[in-house]
Amino acid sequence: MKARRVKGLDPEGPLGDNAERIVRVRLDELCSFMPKAADPDEVVALHDMRIAAKRLRYVLEVTGPCFGPYADSAVKHVKDLQDLLGEIHDCDVQLPEVAAFLEELVAEDVAAAGASPGELGKVPNRRTYSGLVALQVHLQARRRALFEQFLELWRDYERKGFEARLAFAVSERSQSGS
Amino acid sequence: MAKAADIDVDPFEPFARAAARVVRTRTGELFAHEEGVLDTSDIERVHDMRVATRRLRAVLEIFAPCFPSGDFKTALRDVKALADALGERRDPDVHIEAMEAFSAAVQPVNRPGVEALVSRLRGRQAGGNDALRAALEHMHECGLHERLLSLCDGAEELVA
Repeated sequence: MKARRVKGLDPEGPLGDNAERIVRVRLDELCSFMPKAADPDEVVALHDMRIAAKRLRYVLEVTGPCFGPYADSAVKHVKDLQDLLGEIHDCDVQLPEVAAFLEELVAEDVAAAGASPGELGKVPNRRTYSGLVALQVHLQARRRALFEQFLELWRDYERKGFEARLAFAVSERSQSGS
Repeated sequence: MAKAADIDVDPFEPFARAAARVVRTRTGELFAHEEGVLDTSDIERVHDMRVATRRLRAVLEIFAPCFPSGDFKTALRDVKALADALGERRDPDVHIEAMEAFSAAVQPVNRPGVEALVSRLRGRQAGGNDALRAALEHMHECGLHERLLSLCDGAEELVA
């Protein structure tokens, strides 16, 4: 996902004002993925939301000390969100890989087997099936549980006014940074 | 995971001056993590260097307007290429670790399938290591370290 362009940055202007512009765009970018990413089938939106969280986290990690105190808490919130979305993404990457591998093994066995069911006891990959199916079950169940955690985490951020509080914090300036 | 150094920032200092200091620090962190990254028996090294690359890329993008445009684009392109190569090695590392943990937790009857998958992933890990070796060589040949530091000098000159 290409990052939204931040307009009006001035190399000679104060760091705090420039960083505020960047954080505002990155925060809006992150929040814009909801409610679309609340649909578990929206794999691309979830992936893009993870990237948006990463961008916001990194700008806050560097420039957070310029702002009001909530910017510091926000770094942790965004990191938690990014980590959770990262774990969901890992499942989304691994599931098709496992399915493709299993399909490949089945195809090899189809080529090796004859017409009689009795020959299935001799096909080369017969012992691999159960583990790969178990892995698919595990990854799907894990993905579902992680997705529920993600929804709960986002609801919690909404309840606690994450977006508004961070938007306010970046309008404040610490006296001397870190 | 290696923690990034805290960098002092002042909200009232010029953006370009902060850019020079932050990018210099993140550049130093990247090159400090190079040693041992091709060692597949210690997967944390490649992880640390990948994270350092991500942090460097992030600060380059944050402070982009502070750097001379042409030199900046090619340096960012090379940092991205290095990040991609580190990812090519890191992704199978992570999957292997997860599959081995899964294999240890399930009944023995389920292990042959997972072990077959791990064996496939080991092949991809070796391929990723070859790609990373080439990317590290390119990083030195193209003088990426010096070019990044030169970008920082350029940013500082803007506000000298």
